[in-house]
Amino acid sequence: MSEMLSGAEILCRALVDAGVEVIFGYPGGAIMPFYHALPDHPRLRHILVRHEQAAAHAADGYARASGRVGVCVATSGPGATNLVTGLAAAHMDNSPVVAITGQVSRPMIGRDAFQETDIIGITLPITKKNYLVQDVTELADVVADAMAVAVEGRPGPVLIDVPKDVQNQKIEWQGATKRSRASQAPRAGARGQSLTPGASPGPLEDGVRAAARLINGAERPLIMVGHGVILAQAYAEVRALAEKTGIPVITTLLGISAFPDGHPLHLGMPGMHGEVHVNRAIQHADVIIGIGLRFDDRVTGNTASFAPQARIVHIDLDRAEIGKNVPVAVGIVGDARDITRRLLAAVEPRRCERWLEHIRGFVRTRAESYRGGMSPEAILASIYEASHGDCTIVTDVGQHQMWVAKLYPYQHPNSHITSGGLGAMGFAVPAAMGVHLARPSGTVWAISGDGGFQMNMAEMATMVQEGLPVKMAVFNNGYLGMVRQWQQFFHEKRYSCTPIWSPDYVKLAEAYGIPGYRVKDASELTETVGRANTQPGPALVEFMIEQEANVFPMIPPGGSLSEPIETAPAGATGD
Amino acid sequence: MDDALVTLNRAFGVLRTRNVPIEGLALHPSGTAGESRLTFVLKADAATADRVAQQFHKMIGVRSVMVLANQDSTTEATR
Repeated sequence: MSEMLSGAEILCRALVDAGVEVIFGYPGGAIMPFYHALPDHPRLRHILVRHEQAAAHAADGYARASGRVGVCVATSGPGATNLVTGLAAAHMDNSPVVAITGQVSRPMIGRDAFQETDIIGITLPITKKNYLVQDVTELADVVADAMAVAVEGRPGPVLIDVPKDVQNQKIEWQGATKRSRASQAPRAGARGQSLTPGASPGPLEDGVRAAARLINGAERPLIMVGHGVILAQAYAEVRALAEKTGIPVITTLLGISAFPDGHPLHLGMPGMHGEVHVNRAIQHADVIIGIGLRFDDRVTGNTASFAPQARIVHIDLDRAEIGKNVPVAVGIVGDARDITRRLLAAVEPRRCERWLEHIRGFVRTRAESYRGGMSPEAILASIYEASHGDCTIVTDVGQHQMWVAKLYPYQHPNSHITSGGLGAMGFAVPAAMGVHLARPSGTVWAISGDGGFQMNMAEMATMVQEGLPVKMAVFNNGYLGMVRQWQQFFHEKRYSCTPIWSPDYVKLAEAYGIPGYRVKDASELTETVGRANTQPGPALVEFMIEQEANVFPMIPPGGSLSEPIETAPAGATGD
Repeated sequence: MDDALVTLNRAFGVLRTRNVPIEGLALHPSGTAGESRLTFVLKADAATADRVAQQFHKMIGVRSVMVLANQDSTTEATR
């Protein structure tokens, strides 16, 4: 049976057909037909954010926590451009997000119409694919295609730009057609290949055998795991590989929680703020098995001096990553779970006790003092305790992000979500809203600094209006702390524009009708954090921390992993 | 690649984003409906050429990628 439907109605039906349940969005002129149709589709829960950037971050958080596509909606012009930071963050961290934007009507495109912007052009480099829907007959297929492209292979954001007249255009609707796969013709070298330098791509088994030979013969091997392990849910396989071979495991910022924190083989996070023993292990390793990471510059420091003795086995879904940042001995293109399973079968059981002993010799203990005992360790321990170690932590960007990455004892896979690649301040609060909607029965803590929190704190209103019980932690040191730290270390302690004023967060919370707390002394941590954690709705806790505390150790930007800064430079005060 | 303006734009972007200068380019119908052939002339070492080829490989809308060294491309042109 056919019926006459508008583009807007088709859009809603296509989203329902694709299994979408939550949409983060903000209405406006060019997307009004969609919002007119939306109430007829109660399966689509709409979350009204306070800024479109938050809609994109929330969709990203939803996607990372659920493994499903996160959807955000905005109008043309400023609505669409406000999504850009969130889409760039999703692109850098491979999160499947579909953004739907209204566009001015087709006859107005290219005439600098009111709220017209070329969002297709603007988002080209930060999307896997984007579509300007030219005719209503394409719409259902475009939505189906976009949803599939976002999750296929290496996930990422996709944008659909729908002119207002296309949303209003009516056609006789016969139901969704089969998804057009014309643009998805199989491409050469997509996956399942061995890439040995200087040789043409060979069968997968060759790469697995070569990798196993390297691992069996290694004296100082390391496993480095990244976000790919979380995306492929290869936790059990990676753990089994580590336990069969006794090889210690390093987790990158986005690989955190892919391997249990307290496991005897877990070393920690590498790179710019990695612990000394982790980076030293890399510099002394003779074989590194990298699974689902891209050897980002924050991990490698200066690539010329990165892991000078190591032959690298690189396993990645994206062929373009193999050899992009560091030279590899064996490259294997494929899904982290599948390849790790094959590797597990191919390696011989072994132990690495002498090597582990060697690494333990690199471990440094630091004694830092914090005002009121408010150390990052103590604060994070109180959150861990209050949530019984069972919550999702979403962090923002800066010092607190590094403290959480290094100190929070993650036990559950994919329980740490952060803006890693883009490093977008303002991410935590809206992304945590998305995490809550993906995991409604779990607890979510959004941890921010006083800088990042103020970027998107308006989303507290969204939490109240939509009933999203996000717990917010604000590390308040009165500075844009990480930039201040760089100024202290590399800019003669000239604190240019980094002192930052904050409102009274307790009163601010009160203004939003939610409980707010301030903790100045470590003795109050357990009780206050516990109370915030058990509140039925959102809650905010401000932690007054040492103003000039630093994140140690630190590899200077572009420096070698062998040369960490472990104390503040001479002449600099504080910490 | 797909014969679509947005695919063409994305292909330029692969080079622009990586700061690889374009010396010449040509767009032709490929002979297959809905597909075009885009040829870039780049002054780049083999490693850079390979790196951008990998990026083209994974670009949605690209059907196949060929890297021709200078000599091969001359042969191609005079054939």
